[in-house]
Amino acid sequence: MSSPLPLKGLRVADFTWVGAGPFFTKPLADHGADVIKIESRSRTDPIRNMAPFRDGVPGPDRSGYFANRNTSKRSICLDLKDPRGRDLALELIAQSDVVANNFTPGTMDRLGLGYEDVLKVRPDVIYLEMPMQGNAGPHRAFRGYGLAIAAVGGLLGLTGYPERPPVGTGTNYPDHVPNPLHAAVAVLAALRRRRRTGQGQYIELSQLESTVNAIGPALLATAAGMNTERCANDDAVAAPQGVYPCAGDDRWCAITVGTDSQWAAFVRVLGNPAWAARPEFATVQGRRGARRELDGLIAEVTATRRADELADELTSAGVPAAKVSDAHEVLLDPQLNARGHWRVLKHPVMGPSVYDNIPYRLSATPGELRGPAPLLGADTRDVCVGLLGMDPDAYQRLAEQGVVG
Amino acid sequence: MTAHQCPTPLDGVRVIDLSTRLGAYAGRLFADLGADVIRVEPPGGVPERTVPPLVGGVTSLSFAFTEAGKRSVVLDLDDPVDAARLEDLLGTAQMLLTSEGPGRLRELVLHPDDVTARHPRLVHLSISPFGLTGPWADRPAGDLTLLAAGGLLTLAGDPDLAPVRAWGEQTSVIAGVHGAAAALMALLALEDTERGQVVDVSAQEAIAHSLENAVQYFDLEGVVRHRAGAGPAEAGTGLFACADGWIYLVGGLGGLPLAWEAISQWLEDNGVEDAEQLREPRWRERDWRRGEQGIAVFRTLFERFAAQRTKQELYEDGQRRGISIAPVSTPHDLLSNPQLTERGFFRKLAVGDRTLAFPGPPYRFAGLDVGPGEAPAEPGRHTEAVLNSLSASAAAQAPKE
Repeated sequence: MSSPLPLKGLRVADFTWVGAGPFFTKPLADHGADVIKIESRSRTDPIRNMAPFRDGVPGPDRSGYFANRNTSKRSICLDLKDPRGRDLALELIAQSDVVANNFTPGTMDRLGLGYEDVLKVRPDVIYLEMPMQGNAGPHRAFRGYGLAIAAVGGLLGLTGYPERPPVGTGTNYPDHVPNPLHAAVAVLAALRRRRRTGQGQYIELSQLESTVNAIGPALLATAAGMNTERCANDDAVAAPQGVYPCAGDDRWCAITVGTDSQWAAFVRVLGNPAWAARPEFATVQGRRGARRELDGLIAEVTATRRADELADELTSAGVPAAKVSDAHEVLLDPQLNARGHWRVLKHPVMGPSVYDNIPYRLSATPGELRGPAPLLGADTRDVCVGLLGMDPDAYQRLAEQGVVG
Repeated sequence: MTAHQCPTPLDGVRVIDLSTRLGAYAGRLFADLGADVIRVEPPGGVPERTVPPLVGGVTSLSFAFTEAGKRSVVLDLDDPVDAARLEDLLGTAQMLLTSEGPGRLRELVLHPDDVTARHPRLVHLSISPFGLTGPWADRPAGDLTLLAAGGLLTLAGDPDLAPVRAWGEQTSVIAGVHGAAAALMALLALEDTERGQVVDVSAQEAIAHSLENAVQYFDLEGVVRHRAGAGPAEAGTGLFACADGWIYLVGGLGGLPLAWEAISQWLEDNGVEDAEQLREPRWRERDWRRGEQGIAVFRTLFERFAAQRTKQELYEDGQRRGISIAPVSTPHDLLSNPQLTERGFFRKLAVGDRTLAFPGPPYRFAGLDVGPGEAPAEPGRHTEAVLNSLSASAAAQAPKE
């Protein structure tokens, strides 16, 4: 007997696009919610046209960036600027538990799909917006692309080497982690409350406020009058800690020595180099004090070792260590593969393609990637005719006029 | 409206929090949403309480951040009496939060197989470095090594230096937000079916899930992404030095100019020498924009202008002109950020004998107070109250003679 998907029966009218929004509705879809992604032919989700593409050939149904964020969803195209398109959206919303968008403030109101409009057709709706800076405040209309939120939110400035300009994570981290998943937490909590009270909920997730929480301890330190600076790979406790060069071109091993017993094991694995016996290295305070010199000494030894073998030996000896894996290596990673983290789904245009699996398992009610990313507008007819009960001839007429389809 | 009529989202949910740093943020999210999160600690408190920096020489700020709103109960789990009390406590809870690998959980008699067998109506949110299964499940790990194993570390840093980790304990954030979402789905199932379950979160997997498009780049185009600093890939985009730090400007995307007219006008209006050359047609050309020379020429012009101005001036002024520009904020900047302060984002909470501004919650629920509401508790502050309520409920449930 297959176990039930935990969110079966839930429907989401999903107006989100680009990075943060779709990664929030994805876990809902993968756990059984009917997530209906609303786009239009003239205003598709911009990420459909962002690389990488199958075989490097661009096209709205060829982007891996889009595909990996949109599993298990349905896609419909409505012209929301046409009153008939907007009415269809409201009909869909009337049958949806959750309505979500990450447009700039005021966009949904202008489309006639703001919270007040939606309440009239769905009084117990859970309505989530994720504006960049919030719907109110002096910077509400400020715009930003790429790393803007990581920059304003402080993570970019704190991440990097002390002696150089900041570098950040090399990704649009807020779009992939705090903003989408905080949104999922909020909506799921609101659903739980609705079950007990019958009440819907308006939720505003300012992407700036959400992202600032990722560096919460730094703000507390500043409030307490302490400076927080970029510190590369240093740790507040462990020493040595670093990313050390290994044999080969641009090969590295990350190592954390947290305790004196780990230090002893670390020295053994390195082959008991003479410098390791120096008395100042016997305590964590001493190692921290001399950490730059120590890093150089360690690097001389690690440079002769293979990163994966060194990590195996160190972890066997109880020392946290890992090869720095690139995107090819994570696909071959024994642990990720034992966990079934990578899934190949057959996409109608892209063919078999690699997707991230859900990074957790619910033992009794697990989710699953129920299907690859939907083709643009693949489900418009099904939703309009099957779900909204539209007459097939009427659908055909609206399709010919470009309102749907 | 009274509190009774307007319960918080997780009103009535009890979470027993036995996590390490890796799981602490998930527990904080539950506390923000109104759950009764009980942090169970050994006598003297958990070691995370002493992770620097410390305020007043005693309270760890990273600990204070993740513990706001939680209650603290001290139990000596080596003592059978206290171990039995933990079992009783688990019997009153909907959720258990742990963040260690399966071997360590077995030592603690907290392996999910055992716990959910003893407490079938419990959701065990088990966040662990590598998940509960697989050949590396018991490998020792920390934030840095998990970022390496999950593939995020390789994307960050300057090409001529070692890869560099994201500031702080992002592994705790990454695993925590996924874990909290997953556990809430399990809570919905619990309240539907009266059936608990194990939520097995692998931090490594959660990190691998955060690689933007890197895995798909390899799969679809055969390209392995490497760290590339924060430097611009094209003219007008990237970090630029100004009087008090850096700003991040997006003046072009995908080889195409963005608000170029507005940027040119901005520099001209301020009398920047040679700024008019930004109007030459070559700035519309992808090859020029992406070439070293184009990038360098723009940088020279823009930094000539920016060197005299602060982040905040450039931000406000540029945004008013419709330009995508952002300050590279320090934590200090954030505490006085006009948007955050105007919106009343920060909340004053006592930490030891200090009152500190805590970041507000990541989201706002209309009409409900969600977010850090209580100062972090000192070890054992709630032991007596919680144990008393346990014996009261045990007495109430005892069979009558």
